[in-house]
Order: sequence, then C-alpha cells, then structure tokens
Amino acid sequence: MHEFLAQLANGVELGAIYALIALGYTLVYGILELINFAHGDVYTFGSFVALGILVGLRAAGVLHGAGLILGIAAALIAAILASALLNAGIERLAYRRLRKAPRLAPLITAIGVSFMLENLIELWQGSAPVPFPNVIPNPQLHFGALEVGVQQIVVVALAIATMIALHFFVQRSKLGKAMRAVAQDRDAASLVGINVDRTIAITFLIAGALAGVAGFVGGVSFGSAWFLNGFGAGLRAFTAAVLGGIGNIAGAMLGGFLIGMLESFSTWLIGGQWSNVAVFSVLILVLVFRPSGLLGETLPEKV
Amino acid sequence: MRSPRIAALAAILLLASPLAACSSGPAPASTTIGIGVDLPLSGADASVGTSTLDGIKLAVARANAKGVPGGFTFAVQALDDTQQGVHNPQQGASNVRTLIADDSVLAIIGPYNSNVAAAEIPITNQAGIVQISPSAVSDGLTLGKDAAMLRRANPGVNTFFRVCTTDSRQGSAAARFALDLKLKRVYIVDDNETYGLDLANVFARDFTKLGGTVLGRDHIAPDTQDFKALLLKIKGYKPDFIFFGGTTSTGGGLLRRQMFDVGMGKLAFMGGDGIPDIAEVAKKRADGTYYTVAAPNADLLPAAKRFVAAYKAKFGSDVGPYSANAYAATQVAISAIEQAIEANGKKMPTRAEVLAKIPRNAKNEVLTPIGPISFDKNGDVRKPVISLYAIRNGRSSFIEQLNLSE
Amino acid sequence: MIYTYAFVAIAACVAIERFHNRRAKTTIVLLLAAFLAIAPRFYGNDAVFSVLADAAVYVMLALGLNIVVGFAGLLDLGYAAFFAIGAYTYGMLASPQFGLHLPFWALLFLAAALAALFGALLGAPTLRLHGDYLAIVTLGFGEIVPQIFQNLTKYTGGPNGIAALDVPTFFGHSFGASVMPYYYIALFGIAAALWISRNLRESRLGRAWMAIREDELAAKHAGIDVLRSKLAAFAIGASFSGIGGVLFAAKLALVSPDLFGFQVSVLIVSMLVLGGMGNIVGVVVGSLLLTIVNSALLPQINSLVDAAFHTTVDLSNLHFLIYGAILVGIMLFRPEGLLPNRERRAELHHAGEAAGDA
Repeated sequence: MHEFLAQLANGVELGAIYALIALGYTLVYGILELINFAHGDVYTFGSFVALGILVGLRAAGVLHGAGLILGIAAALIAAILASALLNAGIERLAYRRLRKAPRLAPLITAIGVSFMLENLIELWQGSAPVPFPNVIPNPQLHFGALEVGVQQIVVVALAIATMIALHFFVQRSKLGKAMRAVAQDRDAASLVGINVDRTIAITFLIAGALAGVAGFVGGVSFGSAWFLNGFGAGLRAFTAAVLGGIGNIAGAMLGGFLIGMLESFSTWLIGGQWSNVAVFSVLILVLVFRPSGLLGETLPEKV
Repeated sequence: MRSPRIAALAAILLLASPLAACSSGPAPASTTIGIGVDLPLSGADASVGTSTLDGIKLAVARANAKGVPGGFTFAVQALDDTQQGVHNPQQGASNVRTLIADDSVLAIIGPYNSNVAAAEIPITNQAGIVQISPSAVSDGLTLGKDAAMLRRANPGVNTFFRVCTTDSRQGSAAARFALDLKLKRVYIVDDNETYGLDLANVFARDFTKLGGTVLGRDHIAPDTQDFKALLLKIKGYKPDFIFFGGTTSTGGGLLRRQMFDVGMGKLAFMGGDGIPDIAEVAKKRADGTYYTVAAPNADLLPAAKRFVAAYKAKFGSDVGPYSANAYAATQVAISAIEQAIEANGKKMPTRAEVLAKIPRNAKNEVLTPIGPISFDKNGDVRKPVISLYAIRNGRSSFIEQLNLSE
Repeated sequence: MIYTYAFVAIAACVAIERFHNRRAKTTIVLLLAAFLAIAPRFYGNDAVFSVLADAAVYVMLALGLNIVVGFAGLLDLGYAAFFAIGAYTYGMLASPQFGLHLPFWALLFLAAALAALFGALLGAPTLRLHGDYLAIVTLGFGEIVPQIFQNLTKYTGGPNGIAALDVPTFFGHSFGASVMPYYYIALFGIAAALWISRNLRESRLGRAWMAIREDELAAKHAGIDVLRSKLAAFAIGASFSGIGGVLFAAKLALVSPDLFGFQVSVLIVSMLVLGGMGNIVGVVVGSLLLTIVNSALLPQINSLVDAAFHTTVDLSNLHFLIYGAILVGIMLFRPEGLLPNRERRAELHHAGEAAGDA
C-alpha cells in the first residue's frame, strides 16, 4: 500500500508535466491539424531558460528568503515568455507559408525545425545533461501511508493552476472563443471578422507558454535539463494528447496523467525497460476500441 | 519555373563532386600520413566524442611538433559515425571503408561504441589496417568465439586493439572493490545499452560468486527522465548500495541525483568508467559515488599529469572521460608507424608493416597517460590495472588499485 | 566519386520525369541501368559502392513506404519496424545465434512474408482509424518493435544485437568481403521495386488506393473494399521493407536495435515528402539525395569544406542544424516535393487543401 501510494504520487507528478506538454500539441493540432514536432524542443528550451536564470541568480547570491520566491517566479516567467515567443516565431517563419501546402509538408518542416532547435540548444548548452539548481526545499511530508515531497506538491500545484487558467481562457475570453472558432472552421471564422493569422499566432504563443511552464516544472522534477529531453518527453506527451483525443483540451490533461501513471506503474511492476512498450501498447489498444481517443468526438466522415 | 531550381541543385552536386574526389582520393602531398578517426561527433554522444577526438588531436600535434622520421607529417581525418543523432554501426562501417580507400591512412582510431566496432572489425581485419579503440569494452570484440567470427575474413591476423579494459575485467574488479568496502547487498540498474548491460551482467555474476547478494536488477528505457519510480521500488529492497551499468548521460547522473528526492541520498552508488564525470550532473549529490577506471592511480603517473596540463592548455576545457585513452591509443599507433618508417628506410610503410610494429611485449611498450601499454594476442592491454575512485566533496579521490595480471 | 554517381542517377531521374515520350524514357532507363552496372568496373572504390548499396536499400524502403503513404494515403510513422523485422529475420536465422544458417535467398522471401504478415496484423485492427490517429498507432508500433528486440536479450542478443552474420553465397560462391554483390542485388531490387510499383499503380488495386486517398467515403460507395485495399497496401509496403532489411543485415553482418529507431522512420518519410510523394521517380530522387547527405556529405563535411576553402573548421557539431535546414528549406520552397506527382499537383491547385487524410 505504502509503495502503491508513492508510485501513484510519482505518476501524478510525471503526468502533470506530460499533460502540460500535451496541451501544447493538442491546441496546435486543434487549430492547424499539424503535429508540431518541434514542440518538445520548445519545452527543452523553456527548461534551459529557467535553468539559466536560476544559475545566474544563485551566483548573484540572492536566492534565499523572499529572494528565493521572487527568483523562482522570475525563472518561471522567463521560461514562459521565452518558450511562447520561440513557438510563435517558429509558426511565423516556418509554418505560416505552408498553410495551403500538402498536409505532410508542414510535418516535415516541423521535424526539420526540431532538428535545428536541438542542434542550437546543444551548441548553447552542450550535449551532456546540465544540472537544474535544487531551488525548492524538498522535505518529505507524511499523510497517513502517503509520503510526498514538497517539490512534488509544488510541481503538481503549478501544473494544475496553469491548466485551470487555460480552461478559463479558452472558454471565457474573447481570444479563446476566437481560437475555438478558427479551430472549427477557418473560413467561416474569417468571414465573421476574426483575424485568423493573429488567432493562430496566439494559439502558438499559448502552447509555447504551456511548454515553458512544463520546462520549469520538468527541470525541478528531474533535476536536469538536456538538449534531447524534448524528444522523449514530446513523444510521450504527444501520445498522451492522442490517447485523450487530439484537439480536445480535457483529453490532453487526462491523457497526460494516464501516461505518467502508466510509466510509473509499469516501471514498478514489470521493469523500466518495458515502460515505453507498455505506454504504446496501451495507446494502440485504446485506439482500437475508441478510435478517436478517450474524450475525442467521433469525426464526421467527410462527404 | 521548375527547371532552374533543379538545374541549380544539379550544379551544386556537380560542383561538389571534384571536391569529394580530392578529399577521398590520394592525399595532397605524399608526405602526409593520415590517422583515420571514427567517433560519434554529433548528437547525444557529441561531448564525449569531441573530447575523445581532442585527445587524438593532441597526440598528433605533439608528434608533429617533435618531428616525424622521414619528414612526414601526421594529419587527423575524423569521420562522424552518428546518423540522425545516434551512433550508427552502418555509418561506422561506411566510414572505415572511406578511410581504408585513402592510401595515406595507416591506422584508424575508434570507434567509441562496441556495436559500431562489431560492424567495423570484419572490414579492418580484411584490409589489414591497424585499428585501436579508446573505449569499446564489450568482451566479444577481442575474446572467444565471437571475436574469431569477427576475424573470419583473415583468421590469422588480428588488427583490432583497445586501450580500454574489457567488461569482464572491470565488472569483476568492481565486485571485489564493493566487498572490500563492506557493501554486501546490491540492487543493480543498467541503461540497457551495450556497455552498461554487459558491465552489469559481469558485476552481478562475480559479486554473487564472491559472496555478495544481488537483491534485484532493472534495466532502464532510453530517454527516461524520471527515475523516482524505479528508486521507490528499489527502496523497498533496502540495499547497501546501487550498482549502475551505464554512463553519466545515459542515466547515471540523474539516477544519483534523484536518489536524494526519494530519501535515498545516504546510500552508496557505484559504477564503472562511464561515470567519472558524474559530479557534473549530480553536483554535491555525487558524494558517496564510487567508480572504477582502467588505469593506475593518475596522481602517481607523471605522464597523466603532463597530459592533463597539456590538454587544458590546448583546448581550454577539462579532460573528457576518454580523452586520455584516445591520446594513448594515438600514441601507440604513431609509435608503430614511426618504427615502421624507420624500418622501411624512412619511406612510407605499408599497413602490414605498421601492424607488425604494434607493441606486443614489455620491451617495446609505449608509455602513456594511462600507464605503459602493450597488447596480448587478443588485442587487449597486457598488464591491466583497475583503480577505484570515490567522490568526496565533489572531487574524485583515489582509493585503491587492482593489478589484474598478477 | 559518390557524388558523380548520385548526380548521374538524379539527373537521369529528372530527365525521365521531364520527357513525355515513352521511348525516350525507356532509353534513359536503359542507359542509366547500363551505366550503373558497368561504371563500377572503371571508376570508384569499395567505400563508394558501400554507400551506394546502402542508398539503394533506402530507395527500396522509400518505394515500399510510397505504396502506403503515397498511393493509399495512409501516414505510417513506424515503417522502420518492418525494416527491423526483416533484418532480424536474417540476423536470427543466418548466424551463430541459434546455429541456424538458412540461405540468404530463401530468407529474402521469408522476410518479405513475415514483414507483410506483421503489416497485416498491425493493420487489421487499426486501419479504420483516421489519418493522424493511424500515424500515431504506427509510430507506437515503431517504438515497440525495436524495444522488444532490445529487451529479449536471450533471443536477440539484446542491445548488442547479433554480430558475425552469415556471408551470403551465390551458387556456392561466397560473397566474401566485397560490397559489389550487395550493390548489384540492391540495384536489381530497385528495378524490381520500380516495376512492381508502376504495375501496382496502374492496376485495379492501385486505382482503388487512389480513390481511397482522394475520398474514402466515395470510394466505399463506389463498391471498393476499403479495408482490404488498405491492408494490401500495408502488407505490400511492409514486404519491401522486409527485403530491404535482409539486404541491410547481410551487408553489415550485424543487427542491433538502435539501427531501427524512430529516426529511421522519419528519415524515410522525409525522403518521400522531399522527393514528391506518390511519384515513383520523385521518391527515388528524394531517397538518393537524403542518403547522400546523411551517409557521405555530413560525415565528411569537415574534410570537404577544408579542401575547398583551405581552412580547418569544425562543422561536425552542426550536422543536425544543416540537416534540419535542408528539410525546412526544401519544404518552404517546394512544398509538393522536388518532383511532385502530377495528379496530386493538379488536385492541389484545383481542390485547394481538401485533399483528404494523407
């Protein structure tokens, strides 16, 4: 029981990170039907920006007391801004020209952008993993049989707060409504006066911002950043988005948490080397029985 | 509209073809001797690959500065064996063929990885060219039936040597060291890659044979970032220490680091020569790590100190985990080539003549930063020494060494 | 030298694409075949033919994937799994691993059959999925297969893989250490793959694929057995990959799981898209181009640049940047690929973007 709860908590923490990344995939897919392969690398970039700020502040000796909280906030905000701008920049430079191109052209472009980003991050930070400063004190707390670290609580709380904010933004704000309208029908949206280019750019900004949050909490949780992190995490997060029903925001969250727990429990019960096999086998099985993912709507067939 | 671009593309290819011809054809001047290199130089292995290459460059630069008999100069011809970011046996094989096709190349240093070596050995064996790896440790490359199969094109000839140790030497030394440290109950984790898995296998076998207890084993999947699930599981077994087969970047650094996140920071952690740089990732949390290296105590070897100083002066960075091995491998190759030049009346020797001059016994062993080197009939180092180091206060300190030839 | 061969082959492909006269096309094909068959006697070395043989295997793979993606419009992001299945068929059945030494030629057919079988097994439950969902299922399959080969150490040699595979023989003559037999077999393989691709495209099945690709619902109403046609595409495409795998494994005399990762699947999809999906000649050009970039240009880029500009720069840490820039650059300037499929080109310009799930 004790170990079950510990693995559950770990799975939730891992899942929170995957869910944040998965949301970025799902938002972009929802609006452009593009699998943004470079998204995982935007997450890596966010992680390194946060890492850079924290290392700098620690060297300046300001990371204690109130300075610690401000420093963490500064790192988080910097990661969010940097990732958001990077993602929007990619859209502007690489994807916008390809809106009317054959479906696979933007996909290959995204793969190319991903390679370029990985190489640039490697040139910037080297090809070895870089330690992420342990800024959040991590005493273990006990709640009955459940033992969790403060760090875990911070990671999950931050992720959930971000998801709630996203939910309200998409459902309530004018921009959120415009996003949903463009996702449903780009031509109709532009007929009713929505600026499609701007809405798509904002979607990329938001997806990037989510990747920035993920980059920060991922760095805290894993204790390092690595130029290829985005590949593995991106693959699992993308799987999470599809598992939940791609294009569906709640689905991406659900999928993220499920994949996180699946990874944690499969490592515990059948061994770490089978965790990828477990994740992808479950994905295939789910899709065989629910072809549009867990929460996805059945697509109307084109006539 | 369509044709100009295709014509441009064609023009680029056409322009590239004479360039290719001069790079892979005979060397520009016949006084140049190529030292072929095959290493992973981009992607995930780029940092170790590059620091390994720097060791080779340093050895070549020093040999040229000293003067080569017959007025020759050595030139490094380095090829990258990664494809799509991962070291790739097919690319390694292709690179070795490219190097062999260039008549000025008299020896090849590399590869870094064992499975790349397994694809290359049949080719270098057939061509009769000396190949020295700084780091490929898999037993089957030099030992037993596996090695004989790799050499089947030319069964009587062995062209493959390595200055690193073998998995079985290192794994069994590590098992003895662990018991010396009174560590009796182990949980073994490996990265499920060639080097890590083999090392963990030998360690598990010898640790049990010597009376230790293996509580359990696990292999991690590639790209894993979260090791807490695994560590929580290990915690339940209450081991004395964790043995890790793998390198710092395939999980060693993160595993050690995350041990502190699940309240296992006090536990000892041990690995092989893939984790000397663990403090770069685990920082202060690296304390309590033990690792083995296949060389005598560096503090007592003047050549090692000189090498470290020269490396820092030339490249402005710290020595990588296999820089010294690469330097040593290159020294051995250069020494053999220079002897062959002398024996050939100061003229360009053949590859077979170079092979004949590879040091085989104490009389002609080469002094290197990792100790004196000569090879046995399999191509392994004749007097293997394995040293144990511990990380204390973020720094490596020598503990003891084991002379395996005694 | 390698560039000379690549240039001749690509130039010939472009010429074939531009001529509309059937006789002219046939002449070019025959001239190219004659050149590729005879020139090695006079020009080149082992290193060059080794890369060309590898390139030829990739051309076969790309032609196989073209049937799935280009003809039938099913995005497959895990094609390397079938390549792995083919390679391991040879690795396990023609090596000291189990002491089985089945003949190379028989294994070519066995691997094709096995790959096709696995293609059908994967396809049967999943082919009714829509576009990108199918893509992710195949991606998952592509992750699972090499991982299983890596984990089942007892049977597959685990991460080490299996080395020292049998050297094939031809009527009792061993291939020895030469790469030329592989070069010629791969050339023959390409010829066969081209012939099969072309005939399939013109066949009833081929027309069914086109119909499904354009509009699945309409195809169904027109009486096409959609699922069976898709299954056929999957199985036939996979079988090309199985044969490619055997050739690859026999030439390298080694199989190991890291040779068949996601990167390989992505590479082959990139070959299709760069060359021009659905267009057989375009696919050949795309795969030749990318193999030359990957196996010759990038590993040797330092010596090339140094020789050209008499410098000593280190570009090896820029490989991915260069590769990525090539992909992005070609896509931005020629989104339909270098040699687009004419029918698809027409569709694109008439029907806008509503081209379906491809």
